[in-house]
Amino acid sequence: MKSTITTVIAAADNAARFPSASDLESVRGSLERAAARMEAAEKLAANYDAVAQEAVDAVYKVNPQGNLGRQPRVCDTEGKDKCKRDFVHYLRLINYALVTGGTGPLDELAINGAKEVYAALSIDAATYVYGLNTLRNRGCAPRDMSAQALAEYNAALDYVANSLG
Amino acid sequence: MLDAFSRAATAADASGSFIGGGQLAALKTFVAEGNKRLDAVKAISTSASCIVTDSVAGMICENPGLTSPGGNCYSNRRMAACLRDGEIVLRYVAYALLAGDSSVLQDRCLNGLKETYAALGVPTGSMARAVAIMKACAVAHVNGTNGDRGPQATNNTINLGTTAKGDCSALASEAASYFDTVSTSIS
Repeated sequence: MKSTITTVIAAADNAARFPSASDLESVRGSLERAAARMEAAEKLAANYDAVAQEAVDAVYKVNPQGNLGRQPRVCDTEGKDKCKRDFVHYLRLINYALVTGGTGPLDELAINGAKEVYAALSIDAATYVYGLNTLRNRGCAPRDMSAQALAEYNAALDYVANSLG
Repeated sequence: MLDAFSRAATAADASGSFIGGGQLAALKTFVAEGNKRLDAVKAISTSASCIVTDSVAGMICENPGLTSPGGNCYSNRRMAACLRDGEIVLRYVAYALLAGDSSVLQDRCLNGLKETYAALGVPTGSMARAVAIMKACAVAHVNGTNGDRGPQATNNTINLGTTAKGDCSALASEAASYFDTVSTSIS
């Protein structure tokens, strides 16, 4: 799974050299920002259930059928549960991405193939984009987490929304 | 290849859980002590050639047969190969120390090394001895206790004044554990 440190090591290994000063410098840069990312990951791990529920509620407020696609689901409750499950899944991977400091976990476990899967299941990816955008606009700096942590969290949400959209 | 962070993510993903609490606390320590880790990697990297040469020379001093005709380091070509291997091992240990995880060492260096040495007739006992000396050397560099550097060298070192020396013992023992991994896997 890719992260800043593994990327640096892979580059150094390709050149068969010891970690250079600039390698260590880029790791240091990542570690400096890591404290904020850890904070965001911690807050998210503690509150993911409520956060996912918020996204689901937002989606169902726009469309009571739960799906913005051409083929709306008819099963209300079951759809809601599945919708929440999916948001929890995205939040869990965002939690990993915040911890590793790279988009590796999101790329490997969610985004690769997502469009194809949603197309096959006739689910409009815009449903998730809408929910993620709601979360993106919902976070509030001193209330939920520190400003820097919120910036990292929002960047991860944006990354998923942009990749699905 | 994994580092301490992606190791936590992989472990959490196996059970589908979020990373929080205890796991995050360990990673926070990793982040807080990050500069020490970078210093430790730097200490090993900048003295790599010295550490490798000393360990190979030490190995041969203890067993002079190695450089005599019929020995495994006889001929400059084989001696050079030995020094090169020592440097490779040390380089992967440095990577592992930077990552805080031994996977890079395992996957890219140790996997199949024992079999390769067996096929080439390299005495793994001697190699393990060189690794043990490298371990002692590297630990000394990480802890900043790497002996007397002579009066002239001492004049050139930065005077730390009253600044207390940082405690790098945790990193030193982590580095030592990677060298132990190497020894166990080749012998």
